[in-house]
Amino acid sequence: MIADWLTAMRPRLSLGWDQSGRFIRWVVALLVFIAALGGVGLVELHHRLRAWEHEFAAAAALQVPADVSNARLATVMALLRQTPGIQSVHLLDPAETARLLEPWLGPAVTLDELPVPRLIDLRIDPDGATDMAALRRQLATVAPDSRLDDHLSWPQGMHAAARRLESILAASTAAALMLIAVSVAFSVRATLVADRSVAQLLHRLGAGDGDIARLFAIRALRVGLEGGVIGAIAAVVAILALSGAGSLVRLPAPGEYHGVADWRIWAVLGGAAVAAGLIAMASAWAAVRRRLARMS
Amino acid sequence: MAAVELDHVGKREGIGAPILSDVSLRLEEGAFYFLTGASGAGKTTLLRLITLAERASHGTLKVFGADAAALDRDAQAALRRRIGIVFQGPWLIDELSVHDNVALPLRIAGAAEREIRDNVDELLAWVGMAGRAAARTATLSGGERQRIAIARAIVHRPALLIADDPAGSGGDEIAVLLVRIFERINRLGTTVLIATDDVRFARRFEHQRFHLDHGMLSNAGAALAQ
Repeated sequence: MIADWLTAMRPRLSLGWDQSGRFIRWVVALLVFIAALGGVGLVELHHRLRAWEHEFAAAAALQVPADVSNARLATVMALLRQTPGIQSVHLLDPAETARLLEPWLGPAVTLDELPVPRLIDLRIDPDGATDMAALRRQLATVAPDSRLDDHLSWPQGMHAAARRLESILAASTAAALMLIAVSVAFSVRATLVADRSVAQLLHRLGAGDGDIARLFAIRALRVGLEGGVIGAIAAVVAILALSGAGSLVRLPAPGEYHGVADWRIWAVLGGAAVAAGLIAMASAWAAVRRRLARMS
Repeated sequence: MAAVELDHVGKREGIGAPILSDVSLRLEEGAFYFLTGASGAGKTTLLRLITLAERASHGTLKVFGADAAALDRDAQAALRRRIGIVFQGPWLIDELSVHDNVALPLRIAGAAEREIRDNVDELLAWVGMAGRAAARTATLSGGERQRIAIARAIVHRPALLIADDPAGSGGDEIAVLLVRIFERINRLGTTVLIATDDVRFARRFEHQRFHLDHGMLSNAGAALAQ
C-alpha cells in the first residue's frame, strides 16, 4: 500500500506543469513569506495584547491628598484591605515617592516643601470581581479628594487600535493564502489549455477526470510544500534580521514561556508551509476538474 | 452478447450535412470486423462514438450493454478502460519513455508496478521493441511509434480493440503484419474493429465488413463472403 502510494507520488506526467510549476513555486514562496510574517505578527500582537490587558487589570494606584490625617489614611488602608479582589496594599513611604518623582522633579527638590499626595499601590486579582465603582463611592466618603486610577480607561483607544491591527494582519495572511489558490488554479488551467491533447489522450485511454486531476494535485502539493518551506525559511531569516533573535524566541509571557523558542511561532511558520501545500493541491484539483468538465 | 450495438444512430455538427445517418450495427463479442469507407465517409466519427469520445446526436448506442447516453463521466471512463484504441496517428506522449507510454492504460487502471513491468516488457518483446523500453518516443521512427501505439492499445487486455487506419501510409506489408497481430489478439477473445479506406485490402481477409458511404452504413450486420 505504501509502495503504491509512493509510486503515485512519483510524477510521471507533468502535462507541461514542470515549467509553470517552477514559477509557481516561487510565487508560493513569496506568498507564504508574506502570510508567515503576518501570522507571526498576529501571534506576537495577540500575545502582547493579552499580557498588556493582564498587567493593566492587575494594578491600580490611589492618590490621597497630602493634607489627609494619618487616622483617615489608616481608615483608607483598612477599607482597601477589606475590599474583595485586592491582593495587596502598599503605602509608598516618602523615599519611594521621591524616587518615583525624581525623573520629573530632579534630585534637588525635597518633597516636604511640596503638597505631594500620598500614593498607595494596589495589586488586584485580574480574574477577581473587584467592584471599582463601589470602591470609589466608599473612598469618597472616607477621603473625598482621593483619586483611584485603575489604568483601564486611558488605554482603551490604544487597545482598539491594537485590535484593528490584529484584524488587518489576519486579513492579509488570509489574502496571501487565497492568492496561492488563485495562482495555482490559473497556472493549471493555462497548462491544461496548452496540453489539451495529452489530457484528451488520457481521457481516451480511460482516465477519469479524477485521475487527471490527481496528477496535477500531487504535483501541486509538492510544489506548494517546496514553495512553502522556502517562504517559511525566508520569513525566519527576515524576523531574525528585523527584530533580533531575542524577539523571535521570547514572547513576553513569563508565566507561559517554555524553552528556547515559543512553539506558537514555529507552529505558524510550519503551518503556513503545510497550508500552502494543501491549498495548492486542493486548488489544482478543483481547477482541473472544472476545466475538464468544460473541455468535453 | 453484443460488445457494441448501434440503433439508428446519427451524428450532426452544426447545420451542415449529417456526418452519420441512421447507423445500425452490432459487434458481437470475440468477433473480428473491418469498417471500410472512403476518406470523409464518417469512419473516425463512428469510432469516436463507439469509444465514447463523442455523444450521438440521436439513436441508441450501447457499449458492453450500457446505454452510452445514460452514463456519467466516471462510468464512461470505466467503460473506456475496457477498450483499446490504435489511433490514426500514434498519438504518443513524447515526454515519456517507450515503457511509460505503453504502461499508460495499466497505470490509469491502477495496476501494481510489478504487473505493469511484466506486461509492458512482454508486449514490447511481442512488437519487436524489447530493447527500446527506455527510449524517448520522439527519437523513434514512424513504424516504431506505430508499434508502440499497438502495444499500448492491447497491454491491458481490452475486451474491444478499435484501430483507425492503423497501417496509415506504412505499406501493404506493414498492414498485413498488423492484421495478423490483431488476429492473435482476437483469438484471445477480444472483439476487433479495424477501420480502413482500402476496401480491397479488407477483402483479402475473411472477416466481417461494414461499409460507410457518406455517413450511411451499407450491408450493416451482414457478413460479406467476397
